[in-house]
Amino acid sequence: MSRLIFHIDANSAYLSWEAAYRLQRGDKLDLRTVASVVGGDEESRHGIVLTKSIPAKKFDIHTGETLYSARAKCPGLVIVPPRYSLYMKCSDAMHQIFLEYTPNIQRFSVDESFLDFSNMQHLYPDYLELAQIIKERIKNELGFTVNIGISCNKLLAKVASDFTKPDRVHTLFPSEIKQKMWPLPVEDLFMVGRATAPKLHNLNINTIGELANYNLDILKNKLKSQGQVIWNYANGIEFSEVRKSNYIKMKGIGNSTTIAFDVEDKGTAHTVILSLCETVAMRLRDSRNCCTVISISIRGSDLIFYSRQKKLVVATDSTRKIYEIACYLFDNVWKGNPIRHLGVHITDFCSNEFYQSSLLDNFDYEKDKRINDTVDKIRLKYGSKAVVRSCFIHSGLNSMCGGMADGEEDYPLMSAML
Amino acid sequence: MKILALPIEMVSYTDNKGVIKPIRFRLQINDEPMQVIRIDKIIETCSEKLAGNIMIVYKCQSVIDAEERLYEVKYELSSCRWILFKM
Repeated sequence: MSRLIFHIDANSAYLSWEAAYRLQRGDKLDLRTVASVVGGDEESRHGIVLTKSIPAKKFDIHTGETLYSARAKCPGLVIVPPRYSLYMKCSDAMHQIFLEYTPNIQRFSVDESFLDFSNMQHLYPDYLELAQIIKERIKNELGFTVNIGISCNKLLAKVASDFTKPDRVHTLFPSEIKQKMWPLPVEDLFMVGRATAPKLHNLNINTIGELANYNLDILKNKLKSQGQVIWNYANGIEFSEVRKSNYIKMKGIGNSTTIAFDVEDKGTAHTVILSLCETVAMRLRDSRNCCTVISISIRGSDLIFYSRQKKLVVATDSTRKIYEIACYLFDNVWKGNPIRHLGVHITDFCSNEFYQSSLLDNFDYEKDKRINDTVDKIRLKYGSKAVVRSCFIHSGLNSMCGGMADGEEDYPLMSAML
Repeated sequence: MKILALPIEMVSYTDNKGVIKPIRFRLQINDEPMQVIRIDKIIETCSEKLAGNIMIVYKCQSVIDAEERLYEVKYELSSCRWILFKM
């Protein structure tokens, strides 16, 4: 029995949600009809374009570029600040509507979901009509438009929803791959990003069709297992389930932050690293794992990026231990240039059920574990600001750095796996 | 009707089933004196959830300055605020 998957994607999500919200409160201007973007705070140096309106696209404004260059391209550009709590509300409202049609939904990110309608032809005889109904309901009830892609697997549905925007329903069944998907540039394929695309261009692969018909052995040789994955994708081969939860067994945890000012001394850098370690270690303990590899990454004010990692003898989940190693790495790798961006990442997990202590270590793990557990419990119950290390008081730094804006704990972000 | 979107002070009545009924409100436009408007009739009630934000919309009718006027007030559930939306 062939499957039937819908991929539903809100058109310029952040922007149209903001626009719908403003219209509801009596704003006369519909942001979607003018050149406008949702942009981060330039004061704290998060000034990049998060979402653009369709008129803004005509000015060649791209997601991810700086607001400065966007303004240079379009002088009258309207810039609105992001409002993450609203986005969560919109996403929940959209999810509620989907739930009325099928229980099999994978919330792939805040603005897109996969809906599984396999074996429901008696309930919904005409899938195109169903797609129209869902699309119209969201438009009328929630005030924003969506694109719906229909196919027999998640990958093709996702490609289909990306065809022409806004407010459209597209199908891309295997029989249509040749005419609808193969002429597209190879960058439009899922998993082909700015790193893979140039490699493919070097092999003279410019469209998805060229990739699909390329010699698989050469691709595997050049791109290893990734070559097989994208070749499958280009041929529309993909079998993953519509998962209820986006959770996949984690291989690593990391948090990073762009600091509001340039860090020029070691002490401040260590404080920022500590605040990142707090977040990372708490997530690690929450996942019931210990890590054995710790890495640190630094981006200077010149935007040059470098990182360093270290393998531990003993696996750990202690904030203090991770912090010590991160500082050690930082002191070794930092060249003394002003720092704009810091990140702490941990990988190589093992279960935290047992602790292997080392004879050469004088670290009191039991004591440290008790304090970490207590702090975690307090933070889970009373919020992350309930217990704060004293070095953060009046430092102007956040005591737990990384992740989304304040108070957005369950914010689903898109993952690299379908 | 024109969109005003003015925040207003409202006296309302909530019955034991949770149905909210606006009774009278007062508002100030620019520097004019505060004026109180009694809601004579609620013509239609509906709820909207644009952008996932739930608001209850009341289409009402009152006599203002000896003239019968139609207008719309909205109640935002998440913030408990009333606005005079259109008049």
